[in-house]
Amino acid sequence: MPRGADQLLLPVNPLFLWFSLFAALVLNMLPLGRVAAMPDFLALALVFWNVHQPRRVGIGAAFFFGLLMDVHQGAVLGQHAEAYTLLSFLAITMHRRLLWFGLAEQALQILPVFIVAHAVSLVVRLLSSGSFPGWTMLLAPVFEALLWPVISWMLLAPQRRAPDRDENRVL
Amino acid sequence: MPLGTLDRRPPPFFHQGPSALTRLAVFSAVALFLMAADTRFAVTRPLRSGLQMLLLPLERVLAVPLQLTHAGGEYMSGLHAAQAELSHAELALTAQSAKAARVDTLTAENTRLRALVDLKPGLVVKSVAAEVLYEASDPFSRKIFIDRGASQGVVPGAPVIDEAGVLGQVTRVYPLSSEVTLLIDKEAAIPVLNTRTHQRSAAFGADGAALELRFMAGNADVKVGDVLQTSGVDGIYPPGLDVARVVKVDPRADSSFARIALAPTASADGVRHVLVLEPMAMQLPPRPAPESDAGKDKDKDKNAKPAKGGRK
Repeated sequence: MPRGADQLLLPVNPLFLWFSLFAALVLNMLPLGRVAAMPDFLALALVFWNVHQPRRVGIGAAFFFGLLMDVHQGAVLGQHAEAYTLLSFLAITMHRRLLWFGLAEQALQILPVFIVAHAVSLVVRLLSSGSFPGWTMLLAPVFEALLWPVISWMLLAPQRRAPDRDENRVL
Repeated sequence: MPLGTLDRRPPPFFHQGPSALTRLAVFSAVALFLMAADTRFAVTRPLRSGLQMLLLPLERVLAVPLQLTHAGGEYMSGLHAAQAELSHAELALTAQSAKAARVDTLTAENTRLRALVDLKPGLVVKSVAAEVLYEASDPFSRKIFIDRGASQGVVPGAPVIDEAGVLGQVTRVYPLSSEVTLLIDKEAAIPVLNTRTHQRSAAFGADGAALELRFMAGNADVKVGDVLQTSGVDGIYPPGLDVARVVKVDPRADSSFARIALAPTASADGVRHVLVLEPMAMQLPPRPAPESDAGKDKDKDKNAKPAKGGRK
């Protein structure tokens, strides 16, 4: 989906934007057990909106959602907030470049961003308690990068609708 | 096509707000401050309580599908499994009722004997039953959240048990929920008593849902199968609760301490109902008055007065 060949998108519905972030938070809060390789859906949604709507979802929103995750998990207050802040900053700095590439290349470029976010969490934990959850946690950023095309397709779908209603068109 | 139909707008020249780098610096600083404040001081407690109250309705709603899957699984497992479980429970109940009948006579006897030798009466532990809301999905720690909080009388540090033994300890209390750190968390520790040798030691959380007995000499009398119970010296856990069983003793040659692996008696996986006990320290008599008062008031009634009056 290089930008030159891309179709023109409709403006984003802010309601949908915040609802998708809330849904990602709920997905993260689902009691699915402790899996170190579980992808962080909230981080994924935050990065997506940081890249596509940096003027609506900024570093402040990422920080606030990070605080919510900290409280939910009973972690040190500020651990997720710090990771999401950095994540959001990196996403915003690369958002102009990223959208010129196709989805696969985007996923490849977004992978280091997720790795950095997880590394920040790990470093904070190693400093505060010295616990290590196991090597499977290396898979989490990989899964997140693999989900990037999926989430891009899902969250951009409402903006791909035709500006004029058409009975023969699905979306 | 009307105006504003497309998502392509030129970036604004003015009113861009602070740069991304500035925001990163500000929010990182706030996050670092919060981390330091959260681990060292208690100033972030109201913030955490507020956010937890905000999330609580969501957490309660999300616990429903979990309960439904549990209930559904039990429903689908069939009549035979339910009957087997029932007969198992009845057997356990019969075994326990014999014990319970003995406990009554023993308690009466104990009270009489304590009165005879002028000992203080034993402590009765108050408890609150609670349901598990969810287990923290944080891969770094082992914590569960229960649906009883400060408004139901839960206090920080309270021991949490289930039917098999000690599960953990309340570490954070919110108005309507609390956070329980399990014994198998890396940061948890519990003083224990070996029921065979009556030797006291301390068990710590270890990797992989296990505990370990630290600081035991390589030749210490610990055997596989020894049962460890709470010793009651910590002022938190009541004595005599099952904690763990020794599963492996490795007297290492390269160290003066043995490596002793324990299996907790209470399994944290799939636990749904727990009992929150009152810390023992809350029932103990208050600390004696400072030394300066000791010589002055021989009369015991004066001790009951506030310390301010006695000092002068």
